[in-house]
Amino acid sequence: MTRRGWGAAAALVAVIGAAGWIAAAQQAPDEESLTFLGEPVTIAQLELGQEVYAASCASCHGETLKGQPDWRRRNENGRMPAPPHDASGHTWHHADRQLFTITKLGVSAIVPGYESDMPAFEGILSDHEIAAVLAFIKSTWPERERGFQARITAKEGGGS
Amino acid sequence: MKDYNMTTTRKFSTRLSRRVFLGAMGASVGFSGLPFNLRAAPKSPGRAIAFDSDALILADSTLSRNDGDWSPLPVPTPGDILSLATHPGRPGRILAGLTSGGVALSEDGGYGWEAKSKGLPDAPATAVTVAAAEPDTFYAAILGDGLWKSDDAGQSWALAMDRPWLAKAERDLTALASVDLATGMGGIWIYAGTELGLTRVPDCFCRWQDVQPGDAMDALVSGEPTPMEAPLPGGETIKALVSAPSLPTRLFAALPSGIWDSQDAGVRWSQKLNTRALGVAVHPNNADFVVAITGDGLIESRNGGMNWTALARV
Ligand code: HEC
Repeated sequence: MTRRGWGAAAALVAVIGAAGWIAAAQQAPDEESLTFLGEPVTIAQLELGQEVYAASCASCHGETLKGQPDWRRRNENGRMPAPPHDASGHTWHHADRQLFTITKLGVSAIVPGYESDMPAFEGILSDHEIAAVLAFIKSTWPERERGFQARITAKEGGGS
Repeated sequence: MKDYNMTTTRKFSTRLSRRVFLGAMGASVGFSGLPFNLRAAPKSPGRAIAFDSDALILADSTLSRNDGDWSPLPVPTPGDILSLATHPGRPGRILAGLTSGGVALSEDGGYGWEAKSKGLPDAPATAVTVAAAEPDTFYAAILGDGLWKSDDAGQSWALAMDRPWLAKAERDLTALASVDLATGMGGIWIYAGTELGLTRVPDCFCRWQDVQPGDAMDALVSGEPTPMEAPLPGGETIKALVSAPSLPTRLFAALPSGIWDSQDAGVRWSQKLNTRALGVAVHPNNADFVVAITGDGLIESRNGGMNWTALARV
């Protein structure tokens, strides 16, 4: 997406729903275009992603991506609460492929044997919807976190 | 979760739990509650050791430094040091975890000490480490609480991660080592010992996990935990754990069964000594130069643990 494209995306995102908090709308758009798994992210995708987020993720990760309260402390059952998806969490430490795998197959798909309350969305969301919701999450990150995550994704080999 | 949060309110129970902690620590350390002369009398083998450049720093009921000969160092409270950490990029800097709670820092090789516990829970710091890639980043394991991080050389601390969940319970960390190997998540690993063995967390603190061959991305391909060929013996407390700064894949661990080493960042381990071990340190520039605290005294090896010789004390 071009710089102008980004401005348009941000404006659109600001218009749809209660999205005033979205970082993408608040700060200067990136020079670099946003991609997910190597594909440029479209405005339609961000729109879909925001809907999917509200319907499928917000109940745990929070409407404003802030995560569950005291999310660094385990629950009584030993499992971790849902972390934020904004810059205060650690989602931006994972390459695109890893984020996709966690969302589709659950955390145990990247840490074998790991027990978690994060559902696997395979069969609930399509691959297209999963890519859209993760693209939406990425679009909310400040430049620093977005750049960091882009480098991790690139190291992994073309974002795949 | 914090131990003391489970049944009581936070404010009241912090005090309560601290007494429980100290009771527990006193029992395991043995001499911390005794009068001074009794505490000093037995020649304790020591409980934490670290290299400061070529010098050795040894903590037991007292603190001493060896630059060729042993000499005593001042310490805020005798018998108070539970854990030690240094960084090759900051000669003279010594981080100490305290039985009485929090950490102390020396910037001059152990002669002067300052408390650096602001923001840390008031409970023993069972293990400390300095980030291999960032000498102003410290980690401290707080008994009954979790893993804490300071980005400003101890001026301020924040909770990084709760304790690991192993065999249906949260486990305290008994050892910590920053291991300068990429996680695939934009940072490096922190390895930790518990009463049940080894675990690790990436420095994004995404989650505690077992040691696996390769970086985190390899698990994507296999999907299954890779069976370990030669793990550390199960169910043993890891008393100390170090990664050689000059060769981060090289780890040494001190266990009740002895000194163990790994050449591949903890996937395969082999036993280098079969005497009860309490502490271990590796030279900053020589991954084969190892010093260990054992039940029989202080020993050193210049060949990665193949042969050991006694190191004279006093
Ligand atoms: C039922 C609650 C719940 C829902 C709904 C949920 N999650 Fe999660 N999610 C979690 C929990 C809990 C974790 C922490 C897992 C752990 O470490 O044990 C998590 C972790 C994650 C992570 C890993 C973050 C990291 O840095 O390690 C990603 C990515 C993620 N969730 C994405 C999503 C997406 C996308 C959705 C919506 C499609 C979603 N989650 C819906 C509970 C939930």
